[in-house]
Amino acid sequence: MSKTVKIAGAQGFYGDSPMAAMNIVMENAANYLVHDALAELTLSILQKDKLRNPEEGYAKDIEVLAKVLYPAAFANGMRVVTNSGGLNPESAAERVKAILSKAGVIGIKIATITGDDVLNRLGELQEAGEELLNMDTNLAYSTSKYPPTHANVYIGAQKVKDALDQGANLILAGRVADPCLTLGILAHEFGWQLEGNLSQEQLNLLASGISIGHLLECGGQASGGNSYAEWPMDYKVSNLGYPIAEVSADGSAIFTKLSSQGGKMSRNTLREQLVYEIHDPSHYITPDVIVDLTSVEIKELSPNTVLFKGAKGKPRPEKLKLTIGQMEGYITEQFFFFSWPYAYVKSQKFIEAVKEIWANLPVSIDRMQFDLVGINGIHGSAAPEIPKAYLDNLNEIGIRVAIKHKDERTGKMAIAAITCLGLNGPPGVISIPGWGKMNRAMLSLWPTLVPRELIHEELKMHEL
Amino acid sequence: MSRIKLIDIASARSGDKNDVCNIGVMANDIAAYSLLKQHLTADKVKQHFGDMIKGEVVRYEWDTIESLNFVCHGALDGGASRSLRMDTLGKNFSSHVLRLEFEV
Repeated sequence: MSKTVKIAGAQGFYGDSPMAAMNIVMENAANYLVHDALAELTLSILQKDKLRNPEEGYAKDIEVLAKVLYPAAFANGMRVVTNSGGLNPESAAERVKAILSKAGVIGIKIATITGDDVLNRLGELQEAGEELLNMDTNLAYSTSKYPPTHANVYIGAQKVKDALDQGANLILAGRVADPCLTLGILAHEFGWQLEGNLSQEQLNLLASGISIGHLLECGGQASGGNSYAEWPMDYKVSNLGYPIAEVSADGSAIFTKLSSQGGKMSRNTLREQLVYEIHDPSHYITPDVIVDLTSVEIKELSPNTVLFKGAKGKPRPEKLKLTIGQMEGYITEQFFFFSWPYAYVKSQKFIEAVKEIWANLPVSIDRMQFDLVGINGIHGSAAPEIPKAYLDNLNEIGIRVAIKHKDERTGKMAIAAITCLGLNGPPGVISIPGWGKMNRAMLSLWPTLVPRELIHEELKMHEL
Repeated sequence: MSRIKLIDIASARSGDKNDVCNIGVMANDIAAYSLLKQHLTADKVKQHFGDMIKGEVVRYEWDTIESLNFVCHGALDGGASRSLRMDTLGKNFSSHVLRLEFEV
C-alpha cells in the first residue's frame, strides 16, 4: 500500500478546547496536529497583550498545550503545526521550551516562522512606493485617519515545509494562512514543489492540499459542529470528535473522526465546511495557489468515512494579502430584561428613557442601536413582523443596547447615566452584566496587497 | 403552483470576511438543487434580507456539491469588530435564509 499521511484539525480558534486533540493523541490517530489560532481579528487581541508585555503576543493556548498535549504527542512521534506564534513566535518558542524542559522533554526541535508582521515597516513600504490601496475602497493607506493595531501579511507554506524538512517537531508560526499549515505538511511528506514553474498536475496537488487544509482549519465545524446539514444533530456535541484527513500522494483524502467520540463525519458535514467563508468557489485565493473548488468530489464511503478529491489549481497570485488593523474607537453594550405583564410596552418605555438621557449627556455617542432579544435581536430589520396580540402577552423580553463612541470616558458615562432607571424606570428591570460590557475596542480592517519580494520570511530552529 | 420552503429542501452555513458575509446553501438532493438554481436568485436573497445587506449579492453555482453560494457585500454593519449588531459574524444569515419561500 502506498504511503498516506494523517493530519488532524486539532484546533479551530484561539481558545478552543484541547480535549478533541488530546483524544486524538491518546489514540495515536494522526501523524500531524494542525492548530489554527488566528481568526481575522485575533491579531488585534494579541497586539494588546504585546503592548502590555513585550514577551507576549502569542496565542496563550500553547502554554496549556505545552503542559498537557505536546509531550504526549511528541512521545507518539506526532508533529504539531500551528500559527499560534501570532505576533511573537520567538517568545512563544521560549515559553514552550521553558515548559517542556521543566517536564523533562528533550531531543525536540521547535521552529519559528516570522516576517509576516510588518507593523513597523508600514512607513518603509510606503516610502518604497507602495500605496497600500484598500482592496474595498481603493483609497491609499496615507488617507487613513486611524492608528494601526497590527499589520500582518498572509504567508504561504514554504517555510512550514522547510521546517519539517529540517526535522521540526513543533512549528510556531506567525500569520501563515490557515490552509497553508496543512499544505506545508503535505509538501514535506510528498515532496511537492511549492514555487517556480509548476505543471497543471503540480498545481492540482497544491490545490488539493489547500482544500484539505480549509476543511481541517475550523476543527469541529467539519465534523458535525454548528450544523444545519445534520440537524437535528443525532450525535453528541459535548465531546465532538475533530476531523482527521488521511491524505494520499495524489492529493485525495479520506476524512474520518474518532469513533470513540461524538460528532459526525458525512458528505453533508464536509459540504458545509467547504462552503464556509468562500467567495467565488472557482477562484479561492491563497498565497501558494489559486484553487478551483467547483470540480471537487465528496463521496461518503461508509458511515463517518468520506472521500474528498478533485480540486484544481491555478498559478499563485503575484501579490500577498496584507491586513492592517485600525483602532477606530469603542463599543459599549448592555442587556436589560422585563417580564409579563406589559413586557413589550415596558421595553419601549425604557428605550425612550435611555434615548432621552443620552440626548443630554455632555459627551457624544456616535451611533446607538436597540435590539429586542426574542423579537429582532439577531435579524434586525429583516426579522418578520410579530402579531400585536403576541407582543402584548410576552412572558418576557430582553433589550440590548449598543453604542459606538470615541473614548472610554463616554462608555462609562453612558452606562452610569442610565443605571438610575433600575429604580426610576418601568417596573422590574433586570440588568446584565452589572456594569455593562464597556469600552470594547472597535477595530476596522484595511485589506491591501504587497509584492512578495518585499516580504522576508524567516525560519529559525530552537533545540531542546 | 406550489409553495416551497427553503428549510424543507436545503441547509445553509454562513461566515464572515470583513464586511462581506457568504451564505452557502446546500440542497438536500439533485432535484432540490435544480429548484434552487431556477428559483433562488441573488435578487431574492437580497430582498429577503432588506436593509441588513447594503451592497450587492452575487450568486455562485457549485454543481458538484449541489450548492449555491451567495456572497453578500456590505452585509455586516461594517465588519465584525465594528458592528453594533448582536450577530457580529453573520452566523445567522444561514438561519434567516432558510426562512425563504418561493413558488414553483
